Amino acid sequence: MKKHFVKNRSLIFVFLLFSSVGCINLKTVGEFAGTSTLGIKNFEQIEYSFYQHCLDRCRDEAIRKYEIKRGEECTCTLYQEADSVTQVIYNSMEGYFEGLGKLSQNELTDYSSDALVSALSAKELGPVRIEEQTAAAFSSLSSTLLRATTDFYRRKKLASYIEDANEPMQVLLAKFRLIIGTNLKGELRFKKERMYTYYMDMKMNNTLLSDYEKGKATSDYYNILDEIQRKELVLEVFAKSLDEIAGGHQMLYDNRNNLSVKTLKGILQGYSSNVKDLISEFNKLNN
Amino acid sequence: MMANLTFDQAKQLSDNFYLLGMAIGDFRYHNWDRLTHEENKELSVTQYSFLKYGEDILAFATTLVMDEVVDSLQKINTITKEINDTIRTLTNIQKGLNVAAAVLILGVAIMNRDTNGIGSSIKDIYETWKSPIA
Repeated sequence: MKKHFVKNRSLIFVFLLFSSVGCINLKTVGEFAGTSTLGIKNFEQIEYSFYQHCLDRCRDEAIRKYEIKRGEECTCTLYQEADSVTQVIYNSMEGYFEGLGKLSQNELTDYSSDALVSALSAKELGPVRIEEQTAAAFSSLSSTLLRATTDFYRRKKLASYIEDANEPMQVLLAKFRLIIGTNLKGELRFKKERMYTYYMDMKMNNTLLSDYEKGKATSDYYNILDEIQRKELVLEVFAKSLDEIAGGHQMLYDNRNNLSVKTLKGILQGYSSNVKDLISEFNKLNN
Repeated sequence: MMANLTFDQAKQLSDNFYLLGMAIGDFRYHNWDRLTHEENKELSVTQYSFLKYGEDILAFATTLVMDEVVDSLQKINTITKEINDTIRTLTNIQKGLNVAAAVLILGVAIMNRDTNGIGSSIKDIYETWKSPIA
């Protein structure tokens, strides 16, 4: 009896150890990774690219010079290369966050022991009869233990992946932010200047005679300006969400070993909530 | 020469071309009546060229980022592969549980010297093992 008691206590101890020693809270990591994946995936919704900018420029130039050809001539190799670099960085980051999210989802280790229960309580077991209720209890206990060990394993793995990934991830997020928030957005600044010059030249040359034409040209110019500014804002909001994701990942890394579940949840919730707000702002601007 | 440019230097050059393009435009508009048609046209060509250089350099600066992120990309891709391997291992546990159940039935069939049971149990184990991971 005493031996049985000691054995039970050991089991409970092992169970508690597996449940509590884990450094990272799975649900919190899962939520943060999920929000980050959504935020990063908005890149696919941005209706602007370096290549598109190059095509627009060719079109604008053809209009300005009044060039009519059988086909548009536009060399955009450099711009296509810039898009390729952006795409490679995006793919890498998206793959990482998606993997992190999947690994921290509880469904991953939601094992079903139905097959074992059926086998244990099967009639073919011959002279040995195990009641279905007993088999189910055994199954429930084994599932709980299995869950505890695999969750412990996942926590340890996650903490190690986050530790290894933080430095390269911060580099990638910072560069990606620079590409979108500075370079791609910067291209639009040139488009604005080209449009300003085009309409100003038209005005200074007195090309337009009627009041209607002048009004129409002015209205066209400001409409174009509005559209460019909307695109700039979309890129800016997306870039801000990358900052929040980088901040959240850094926080996860800084506290991977020494934060209680509750505190970690509280801190990461701030980043996740900011990313969610920016996703919603992005969607409003992009529609 | 261009290959030695850093990302920051390229960005600075782009800013300079943008400001030069703007300055030439402002100069043309402020001196519109004083400039001959030819002078104005020539300045306009220069202005558009400056804007084009600035745009091209921004795209070029983006391609330069690749040199700075090669290591980071490699590390993240390796970690992502490890994460996916871990996910696969955890998914395999379910398969292991199903196979264990099938083996249990086989064991009973052997104990009972049930030839038909042994045959069908082996088939079950084989099918469980071969089935794709859910």
